[in-house]
Amino acid sequence: MTEHYNSDDTFLARWMAGTLSEAERTAFEKTDAYKQFRLINEESQKLEGPEIDVEAALKQVKLKIETLPKPKRSKVIRIWYSVAAAAILLISLAVILNSDQTYVTGIGEKQNITLQDGSVINLNANSSISLKRFFWMHDKMVTLKGEGYFTIKEGTGFIVNTSKGAVNVLGTEFNIRDRSDFEIKCYGGTVQFSDLNTSQMYTLTKGMQLHMENGVIKEDTFNEDAPSWKTGISTFIDKPISVILDELSYIYPITFDRSTINTNRLFTGSFVHDDLKNALHTTLVPMGIGYQMTANNHVIVLSE
Amino acid sequence: MPKKEPSICEETNYNLLFRKFYEPVTRYIYYKCGDLQQAEDIVQNAFVSLWRLCASITFSKAKSYIYTACNNLFYNEVKHQKVVLKHQQTVTDYTNYESPDFLIEVDEFREKLKAAINSLSVKEREVFLLSRIEKKTYNEIAEITGLTVKAVERRMSKALLELRNMLGKEIKI
Repeated sequence: MTEHYNSDDTFLARWMAGTLSEAERTAFEKTDAYKQFRLINEESQKLEGPEIDVEAALKQVKLKIETLPKPKRSKVIRIWYSVAAAAILLISLAVILNSDQTYVTGIGEKQNITLQDGSVINLNANSSISLKRFFWMHDKMVTLKGEGYFTIKEGTGFIVNTSKGAVNVLGTEFNIRDRSDFEIKCYGGTVQFSDLNTSQMYTLTKGMQLHMENGVIKEDTFNEDAPSWKTGISTFIDKPISVILDELSYIYPITFDRSTINTNRLFTGSFVHDDLKNALHTTLVPMGIGYQMTANNHVIVLSE
Repeated sequence: MPKKEPSICEETNYNLLFRKFYEPVTRYIYYKCGDLQQAEDIVQNAFVSLWRLCASITFSKAKSYIYTACNNLFYNEVKHQKVVLKHQQTVTDYTNYESPDFLIEVDEFREKLKAAINSLSVKEREVFLLSRIEKKTYNEIAEITGLTVKAVERRMSKALLELRNMLGKEIKI
């Protein structure tokens, strides 16, 4: 008869763990080898492992830890930090590359701006021009608020955005006025204006102008070589007095109390940019408007 | 939501883990390599890396991390030595052996038993000593060594069988 402990490869393990069946155990205890197994097992259980000083080991480990840099953040968190840093870098780069450069004139100021392609913009008072800081040459676009005179070098694709529509330019000279009134005057070459509201296209050549009356674009002609404001004079033909008052307050640091007058009456004439008294006199007296300066010279009270 | 586990980066929690697992793990590694100094170095290095990775290891995963790390570190330095064991200083009741022969030969037998255990293969020795000295169940041993319970039982049986083959002639019946 083959002994169980030889044929069954987990028999002895189960005997040591005390999980043999009653029948298996009694049969095993009758074998010759049983006493030998029992002695070996009992003596083995009396053995001891090494003595270990846990506290001394803990001190040693703490010592090893102290010489380490402080615990690193987990890998996942570190990866996210890198991703976030890269994203922030990319976004800032995009923002910087996409950022605008803006030139602003205050009350009574004028500024000449020379663009990368050699075009020149004369910016009238209280106006601004903004354009892309980088890669502007790929997409020549500027946004105008107020009034500016453009001298554009030959080339394609120069666009001026205004609140009323886009002005498409070949090589040319023109003036755009986008204030309470709206006006484009072409002094040379060709300009194309697309109305933002109606999407209608207008083509202007030298001596042609567009102006907006009650939200409607009208085409017209004019006769001058350069806008007079460039030489320090504002000239108006059949403009509501409100436009003239606005313009005066862009050139001079003044505001008007216009509560008592009718500002829709039309004015034809001009005023100079370097003499407030003269300017007021030439604009208001012909219209029969009386005026009175307040003590600080900044508010002009009007009367009819 | 399960309750948030204590952080190992917290020193009191770390100390708790250390006091709980340092000794059993060190003994386990010692039964493999037989060099207490080497075993302590291995286990201490595993605990140092546990601290370094404290933020990414959860409290409940620490035990298995320590055992796995020690196993890996152990395989990196395979310098096996004789396991030095000693017997408990308790008085044994030899009357159980039903033979006066044992009384005379017991000290000699114990030396031979230790030598026999040392000549077991590392695989059988670690399992046999975890069971007989550390009193671990086969389930616990399977968890520590990464074996199946069945494999642990085979190794246990084989270990005892081999010990008997080596020592059988010493035990006169």
